[in-house]
Amino acid sequence: MELKLPSGIVSQVDVARVLRELNALADFFVAAVARKSGTPMQPPRLTRLLTQLAQENHFNLLEESNRKELARMLNDVLGHAPLLHISFASEPSTKALETILVWMRGNIHPQTLLQVGLQPNIAAGCVLRTPSKVFDLSMRSYLQKQENYLVELIAGAARG
Amino acid sequence: MNTGGLILVIGSLLSAVAAFVWVAIRLGSSGRQPDKTPATGLQTASDKDVEHIFNDEFREELRNRGRLHFEKVIGESAMFLQQDLRQTTFQLNDYMRGEITRTLQDEFKKYEQSITDAKQLAVDSIEKTITTIEQQREFLQRQLETQYENQKNQIIARFETEMATIINHYVLRAIGNQIDLSDQLDYILAQLEANKKAILEDITHGT
Repeated sequence: MELKLPSGIVSQVDVARVLRELNALADFFVAAVARKSGTPMQPPRLTRLLTQLAQENHFNLLEESNRKELARMLNDVLGHAPLLHISFASEPSTKALETILVWMRGNIHPQTLLQVGLQPNIAAGCVLRTPSKVFDLSMRSYLQKQENYLVELIAGAARG
Repeated sequence: MNTGGLILVIGSLLSAVAAFVWVAIRLGSSGRQPDKTPATGLQTASDKDVEHIFNDEFREELRNRGRLHFEKVIGESAMFLQQDLRQTTFQLNDYMRGEITRTLQDEFKKYEQSITDAKQLAVDSIEKTITTIEQQREFLQRQLETQYENQKNQIIARFETEMATIINHYVLRAIGNQIDLSDQLDYILAQLEANKKAILEDITHGT
């Protein structure tokens, strides 16, 4: 069974954060076992990401085996999930990024992680970098490909 | 007058002088020999007559005549000599003038010939130089035309490239901040869809 990542988990940083949270939860349960009876305990607050991740993958975080399995899977995601770098001209909105991530996980790989960057000089579109290729899907690239046409237009205007 | 004539005049002058001296000596020697012997009375008488005829006055007259004649001869000879000298000088001048003129003409001809030769050499050299310069000029003109064409083409190509880049840059700067990412989603998804196969292949081989 492959871990299904929610759309809120975008990058490796998010995975690492969820993993740290999961480890903290495990530590809490270890401490709870070792506590003296009657000692008040404050359970850690779970983030929406971890809760959503556990729900979507049917893990019960109260059970140690489930937590261990989830941690293993998250480590596996960190080690093996495809990481794509995607750059935009401006900071992308959460909704837009989520749309792109959903498309990636539906068409490329279900555990695709993104690392978002900024390249203001591309004007529009995006630049996608896979492990060994760069896909320039920006307006800058589009305009550069149309340079010959632009030159023809200029030459035509110069010739009258 | 040539040299022979000059020698003849000088010889005649010397002869006249010699004759005059001989006459003077004879006259002097006859006056200094008195004869006092009785046997020669007649002789003495004749001598006296002679002395009477050829007295001092007569002798002085003869001397004067001889002197005058000598002076006349000397004058004539001097005149002749002067004329001859003048003629000789004139002829010598003519001769020298002719010789100098002829020599100068020869030298001038040689000089003129040298000048003509030098001029011809200079003209030939100038013509060669002109030919060479003309060839160099044509060669340089061709080179310049070629370089001009190349540079023009380079400038045009550079202009086209730079102009396209400038326009691109302008468009990017002008509209870069005006397009919201949400409006680009369709374009981005379409581009991702178009490159889906390549992305999948790269991820499959890369992971």
